[in-house]
Amino acid sequence: MEDRRPVLELRGVFTHYGLVSVLRDVNVEIYPGEMVCLLGGNASGKTTTLKTILGYVTPSQGEVLLDGEVVSGLPTREIVRRGVSMVPENRRLFPDMTVLENLELGAYLRTDRRKVAEDLERVLELFPRVRERLKQKAGTLSGGEQQMVAMGRALMADPKVLLMDEPSMGLAPVLVEQVFEIIRTIRGLGRTVFVVEQNANMALSIADRGYVLQTGQIVLADTAENLLNNPLMREAYLGEL
Amino acid sequence: MSEEATTVRRLGRVERLPTRRIVLTALSLGVGAAVAYGSYRTLTLPAGARYSGSAWRDFLVLGIAQGAVYALIALGYTLVYGILRMINFAHGEVFMAGAFGSFFFADAWKESGFLDRRPLLAVLLLVLIAMAVSVTVAVLLERIAYRPLRGAPRLVPLITAIGASLFLQNTFRGLFGAQTRGYPKPRVLEGTWSILGIPVQRVQVIVLVVAGVALIALTLVVARTKTGKAMRAAAQDQEIASLMGIDVDRVIVTTFVVGGMLAGIAGVLFALTFGNISYFMGFAPGITAFTAAVLGGIGSIAGAAVGGLIIGVLQSVGPALLLTGIHVPSPFQLKDVVTFLILILVLLFRPGGILGTGEAEKV
Amino acid sequence: MRGALRPGARAGLVGGAVLVYLALVGMLVKFEELRLVGSQVTRGRLLLVLPPFAASFFAVRPRVIGGRVEQPGPGVALALGAVAGALVGAVGSVGLALVEAIGVERIRPVFVAVSPALVETLTFGRGAAAGAAILVVGGAALGAAGGIWRAIRHGLRRPVEVGLLTVVTLAMLQRIVPFMLDELRLERDWLYSRATRGLTWTGAVVVLVVATAAAAYVLDRRERRALAPAAEGRPEVRGWRRTALVTIAVVLAAALPQLAGSIVSEIMGTVGVFLLLALGLNIVTGYAGMLHLGFSAFFLIGAYAVALLTGANLVTAFGLVAPRFSADLNFYLALVLVVAIGAAVGALVAAPVLRLRGDYLAIVTLAFAQIAVILATSSWLQPITGGPQGLRDVTKAPLLGLEFRSAERFYYLVLAFCVLAVFVSWRLAWSRVGRAWNAMREDEQVADAMGVPTGRYKMLGFAIGGAIGALGGALFAVKVGTVQPGSFEIIQSITVLAVVILGGLGSVPGVVLGALVLLALPGLLSQLEEFRFLIYGAVLVAIMILRPQGLIPNVRRMRELREEERTQDAWQQIFAARQEREAAEEAAEAAP
Repeated sequence: MEDRRPVLELRGVFTHYGLVSVLRDVNVEIYPGEMVCLLGGNASGKTTTLKTILGYVTPSQGEVLLDGEVVSGLPTREIVRRGVSMVPENRRLFPDMTVLENLELGAYLRTDRRKVAEDLERVLELFPRVRERLKQKAGTLSGGEQQMVAMGRALMADPKVLLMDEPSMGLAPVLVEQVFEIIRTIRGLGRTVFVVEQNANMALSIADRGYVLQTGQIVLADTAENLLNNPLMREAYLGEL
Repeated sequence: MSEEATTVRRLGRVERLPTRRIVLTALSLGVGAAVAYGSYRTLTLPAGARYSGSAWRDFLVLGIAQGAVYALIALGYTLVYGILRMINFAHGEVFMAGAFGSFFFADAWKESGFLDRRPLLAVLLLVLIAMAVSVTVAVLLERIAYRPLRGAPRLVPLITAIGASLFLQNTFRGLFGAQTRGYPKPRVLEGTWSILGIPVQRVQVIVLVVAGVALIALTLVVARTKTGKAMRAAAQDQEIASLMGIDVDRVIVTTFVVGGMLAGIAGVLFALTFGNISYFMGFAPGITAFTAAVLGGIGSIAGAAVGGLIIGVLQSVGPALLLTGIHVPSPFQLKDVVTFLILILVLLFRPGGILGTGEAEKV
Repeated sequence: MRGALRPGARAGLVGGAVLVYLALVGMLVKFEELRLVGSQVTRGRLLLVLPPFAASFFAVRPRVIGGRVEQPGPGVALALGAVAGALVGAVGSVGLALVEAIGVERIRPVFVAVSPALVETLTFGRGAAAGAAILVVGGAALGAAGGIWRAIRHGLRRPVEVGLLTVVTLAMLQRIVPFMLDELRLERDWLYSRATRGLTWTGAVVVLVVATAAAAYVLDRRERRALAPAAEGRPEVRGWRRTALVTIAVVLAAALPQLAGSIVSEIMGTVGVFLLLALGLNIVTGYAGMLHLGFSAFFLIGAYAVALLTGANLVTAFGLVAPRFSADLNFYLALVLVVAIGAAVGALVAAPVLRLRGDYLAIVTLAFAQIAVILATSSWLQPITGGPQGLRDVTKAPLLGLEFRSAERFYYLVLAFCVLAVFVSWRLAWSRVGRAWNAMREDEQVADAMGVPTGRYKMLGFAIGGAIGALGGALFAVKVGTVQPGSFEIIQSITVLAVVILGGLGSVPGVVLGALVLLALPGLLSQLEEFRFLIYGAVLVAIMILRPQGLIPNVRRMRELREEERTQDAWQQIFAARQEREAAEEAAEAAP
């Protein structure tokens, strides 16, 4: 696997908000077909990492590479066009638009209509319950259904990398279980996934590898299995769960 | 403290009535009674002092025509509010700019006879020119005054918009002079046409046709096209819209462009209907149209159209219907009072408007 | 290199647009006549000089890039500035060329300000070609100067800026200051020329040097004090100093009519009336945090109430007639009633709409004010209000045999009430009520949850504001002697709002300064009147974008309006608010 080129790579990334330093020398590599998670507590810089990947924040040093090409400094839509999509925290559907419109917006930048139609069919096969709700306003769906639509919307972009921001955030335990089931399904499609999570146990149970972010720096990077057994990890993150 | 005192205090609290509810109920009863009484008195005036049926019909047609113009302006408020959650107080000036910009061409074409020779083409060109001018002003407004304030506390952009409104008014005053000017009308548009047997002012027919086409076009654009979908998405959640690859900045500019186009059209129609323009002409129609937007439910396109028509009709029918019977002299001086009262009453009783959701009250 | 010059090009084009705007809107020509220093520096020329200078000044502003402040070095600053300045001139020249090509007489029916005089001003009377050359070359030189200026250390730059500003201000006040010097029997010919009426060159240089030195001294001390560790006993010193400042201000204010004559008294009387209104609005908007766009309604109510209560007459076709309702009270007794009416109307009108969100509340207040004006003008209420002609023969506010209509006397009357209103504002700010307003403004829900009866405090804010506003209206009626609805249009509300915003929401000294700048200056500086509202509009926009806390910020209020430092990245701007929150959290976490 090491000889392959990473799909997504952060190389020595530093970021600032004004004069405040946030990320410091962050290095992340994600290979095709992998599922990688980024762990970290509140305000550790997780969200900023995602924003940097998506081009909302431009690194003051270092670069972000997608498929070997530098994308940092490009506008978000260009980065999205090149194959990054995200399932945002709290799902964030467009509540007053129909489920179908939500899914179609996921493919906003794509021009290959036939392929989009195929992908839509595939998403609906993946989440049959969503098919029943296509004409309904997204805001009227249940939490679990919304999560499916959010995932489906991100998949509609046919991304090279799928980012997920805190998929378990604010959900009841039963739902968390459900969400991770969905993530497993997506992983089964062979998609490359980068999950940002606070729920370290859950995330590591389905990921291949993990990074641990603390005060803007990567402090640990290892396979999921090793991280689960890492005494430091156990103490800092897993113990409290 | 004695037990008695505590009891009394507790009783006092229990018995305190929900003041707001009482005030609102009393107010709605009062307004209802006044409207009923005024209308009754007007309609039962002795023949001779009464308005004839055709007078009422003319009021109604005028109301619908000016309502269509208000609707076009109201859409500008509603679209911008939908996406930026700000009251674009300067939108009335965008409207004025369109009317003003086209005036110089209309004037020159009247001189040269083009306006009377090819009235249809001329009016079409005037509308296009007005659209261009209004769009320019709207886009500059967004770029210079509003864009630096994205994400600022709500009152900040409102104050800016008020400043911009004043600035634009006085800019036009400085550039083109302070006097009111007569807006020329193609000769063909004098007089009336008979529609379904009813004589209707020709200008009003043009107004209704143009406004109707513009409204339908807008509805189609917003509902069917990709741009429209992007606009709706950005209005609901800018951040997520950008995640979908939508260029939110461009969508916002597009919104101002669309609002400007409609305002430009409205500018020409208004000028043709009333025949006068001045640098201050944007204020009253602007605030009337804002009222229409609020009445219909701000953020809702259909709401703006419905609200515009209602306000237009109420302005033209209301003063005559409500005030003539109780012998208020020159009731039409008070037509803007009707508008403002409607604004206040809507915000009191149904802040979300007819077709909207409860946006105006704080959570 | 091309990339490096881009800010210069951008600023230059914007500056050029500003220059063309100033020309077309009529400012350049209207301002030309006034000579400021010697016979060379006129106000029009000063206005002509500003765009290139300012454009380059902005072109070389320091930027925050990648967590570092980047300030162009002197060489880059010079180059950037020159590019910006030259472009400003070039845009102006293109405009000139267009005017030449089309012909002044053909443009004039559309753009009324385009006149031979304008062309004369822009070409310095030397013909189009030479004029264009002067514009470009002069622009480049000015731009270079502006660029270098920005590169100079702040500590050196600032005092000179203050010095220059003083010179310009004194030059603009050429109708007032020489008169004051004469009254004081001070020699003035060295400072103001009798021929041009403006400053003499000697005078200008002397003023520049003295003001610069003084500013350098004051700024230096202030900086040192800010750096020094808090010394003990300072609060008393500051308290003492404040007392001294206030005393000086009051003494100056009291002596003004004697010093400056009746024109100034007349102007300052108007300023006083508007200051009262602004202080009232400051309580509603600055303290209680509710934007009020219809403050002129209180002005109207106060004026009409006092007129009706003190026996003013209607103007009708049959001569003067008493209104349908009227009383003939003593002014001061009536004033008590007027204040009570203002408070009651303020509270009652506000009561039902208090639950609305801020921007809607603002529009509703505007609606109420418009209704008031329309009703006052209408034929329906003509028997009471006099319709468009209004009421006349308003009381002269007699007190112990004195009447207060004359400019000087009225000035004292309004001054007394202003002092009273300032005092009330000050006390309110630090009272229990003031604290409740603060809490409410910062977070209404939290305040509610903590048991602050927000509804009641909002009403109180409207009531007090309304009372002060009505007082202003009453005095205005006394000053003018007539009451007409035209005096109370929405523009007055916006004027008052501009005063409060410019000075600083919630800041009493700020409001006073705002009133002086926005109302006294246009009165004192001849020819500014025509552009007053244009300038107010620009001030509102500029202040909100550049300095939302106003000229003299209220410390407690600053936090609410200030945003994170603005960044160049457009995306960051869109999500600025959210990022600020997150950055703060993450920074707090990142700090050791």
